[in-house]
Amino acid sequence: MIVRRLALTALLCVAATLFAPQLRAHEASLGVIELREVRPGAFIGRWTMEPAIGASHVDLRVPAHCFLRMPQLICGDKGLVGPITITNLGANMSAVLLKVIPMTGASRSYTITTASPVVSILAAGAPTLQTWIELARTYVNYGIDHILLGADHLLFVLGLIWIVRAGWRLAKTITAFTIGHSLSLAAAAFGLIGIPERPLNACIALSIVFVGVEIVKQQRGAAGLTARYPWAVAGAFGLVHGIGFASALAGLGLERRLLPGALLFFNVGVEVGQLAFVLLVLALMWAHRRLNAVLPRWGDLLPAYAIGSVAMFWFIGRLIRVLGVT
Amino acid sequence: MTARNAPATRHPRLPRSTVLLAFLAIAETAFAHEQQGVPGGLASGFLHPLTGLDHLAAMVAVGLWGAQLGAPAIWILPITFPLVMAVGGVLGVLGIPLPIPEAVIALSALVLGGAVAARLRLPFAAAAAVVGVFAIFHGHAHGAELPKSANPLAYGVGFVVATGLLHLCGISIGTLSRSPAGGRLIQGLGASIAVLGCYFLVRNLAALP
Amino acid sequence: MRRRLNRGAFAAPLLLVAAQSADAHIVASRLGDFYAGALHPLTDLQDIVLWTALGLLAGSLGAARGRGLVLVLPLGLLLGFNVGLSFGSTWIAPLTNAGMMVLLGVLLAAGLRINAAALLAIGLVLALMRGVVNAGGVGTATDRVLFGAGLALSGYAFITLITALALTFRGSDTAPSRAWRRIAIRACGSWIAAIGLMVGGFALAS
Repeated sequence: MIVRRLALTALLCVAATLFAPQLRAHEASLGVIELREVRPGAFIGRWTMEPAIGASHVDLRVPAHCFLRMPQLICGDKGLVGPITITNLGANMSAVLLKVIPMTGASRSYTITTASPVVSILAAGAPTLQTWIELARTYVNYGIDHILLGADHLLFVLGLIWIVRAGWRLAKTITAFTIGHSLSLAAAAFGLIGIPERPLNACIALSIVFVGVEIVKQQRGAAGLTARYPWAVAGAFGLVHGIGFASALAGLGLERRLLPGALLFFNVGVEVGQLAFVLLVLALMWAHRRLNAVLPRWGDLLPAYAIGSVAMFWFIGRLIRVLGVT
Repeated sequence: MTARNAPATRHPRLPRSTVLLAFLAIAETAFAHEQQGVPGGLASGFLHPLTGLDHLAAMVAVGLWGAQLGAPAIWILPITFPLVMAVGGVLGVLGIPLPIPEAVIALSALVLGGAVAARLRLPFAAAAAVVGVFAIFHGHAHGAELPKSANPLAYGVGFVVATGLLHLCGISIGTLSRSPAGGRLIQGLGASIAVLGCYFLVRNLAALP
Repeated sequence: MRRRLNRGAFAAPLLLVAAQSADAHIVASRLGDFYAGALHPLTDLQDIVLWTALGLLAGSLGAARGRGLVLVLPLGLLLGFNVGLSFGSTWIAPLTNAGMMVLLGVLLAAGLRINAAALLAIGLVLALMRGVVNAGGVGTATDRVLFGAGLALSGYAFITLITALALTFRGSDTAPSRAWRRIAIRACGSWIAAIGLMVGGFALAS
């Protein structure tokens, strides 16, 4: 019992050191830049909110056919189409909001973050094949990035794998999770459901705590809900996680007309990343069995406690944000 | 190898060739782009043993001869050859000269091809010595031509892998020698390698002052 | 089926390396410091060749002797990484890497059955060395904790997978039809030693 409590404390400490820097990074400075079209293909750029490091220090790169000398951006006949990136995003400048205001039509906004330092500006007219290819490339990558950086989603999937192990049941469980999050992602992206982000994130953390508890139950010999109906649990929590994906997508400043396509590609990217993660975990589990390198008996519950305590740490942190105590 | 695991050949061969093609395609594009860095080094190292016809023929001949000689040559060869060749490579990199290297390499194709054609059954130690001397010369040529811009490790990896694959080709073809017709085919192959070596030898000797 | 799986498993890393080496730095700037740390050793062939050699050696010695590396390599990497952060990472001579390649390669090629302690000692030295060198990938704005965690996890995954693959490929000692597989692993060792010799020669020449 004492060993267990010690292990728990140690894990909490590790988790705290691991994730504290990330939490701080979210509160770093933000910049907003506005690009207003004054002649066809010519824009005037203006920082409506300067980042803390000063506007002149931002390394803004525009598509190759454009020419930027602040405050002027000249793109010629092709217009402002292609990738825009900021190369020196970091600890002291976490995100820049980019607003493009064309002469005709609605203005669009894009967010450049450390997680996705490149945004693709798409042409304003009817979508061409080029637009679709650009869209696919951009959003598949967003999806992969999002799942790979979403430690909470990955931890949940890891918990599912730990309970269900392998085989046909695992395939069904992962498929159920996929269907669940695809459905709610679509629903949230089209505005059918709206849930505030902070409580939702707390819920996601709680779902991982739940999986951790289920692993402990399973190893004590009691078949928990997840062990009996893994696909149902995976599907239900998939719905919750999917809304989380949607909030990430909403932050990217998407145009309404391209939403279905972007949604599809984003989802494809998420699945690619998730599948890669599942395959890696399965490969490692196989390797451990092959090497007979398994945890000693007293360590049976270690993974469950690791998953559970990290998730609980997140949950408490997110709950504090929901309550607005910070 | 192929003969022993005959049932395995019933599987479609597509995956391996596809993967190899894909790898070559990537290596090729990297090659076209620039000779620098890891991809450049890998590509130039991998392609180097494949571009010189005399090298290529001699490497295949080594594999063929090893397969003809049977155990233990067939398995000692692929283990020791790269090492001996690397010793030659070090000499080349360090700029220590060997006498008329190009002619000796052509001679190696002639001798090894001839040995395969004649089904020459030397004692193992003698065969190993012959192959070892030639290995040093082959390695020397590769080492001396190591491009200065390329990543040396990547070049080494590409070069050793390509050489090993050539041996594997030779050994795989060499296992045909268990059937009489296959044996004759291999002797023919050895003869053509010897002719090729002869041509390169004459050309090299003619170029000598 | 199994054979095809094996083949894919062995070819995949090759492809991966070829495809990724080009844009790993972009990935790093895109995905943050954890992935930067995880991918840093995979962008340079030094770590790939050395870790692969170590994994092959561990696999060829059997599960009982090789198993310890699953822990020793990542922990050694972390330790070396911290040493590298404090004392810089340029003092490891390229010749050391080449020497390590030759050592591992010759051990593999000779088919020597060294005991578990010797294997773990070699693994630890290698891990310390590579940890120090990989600390050179840390920039001023890099989060060191995340980078180190990525590095250690990547080393863990790599060594675990390669050791298990080598063990599976080698098969059991009793199956005579698989003798050529052990020879193939030994040939790999000789290739690695050959690469080490060439790199060492180059380091001496320049």
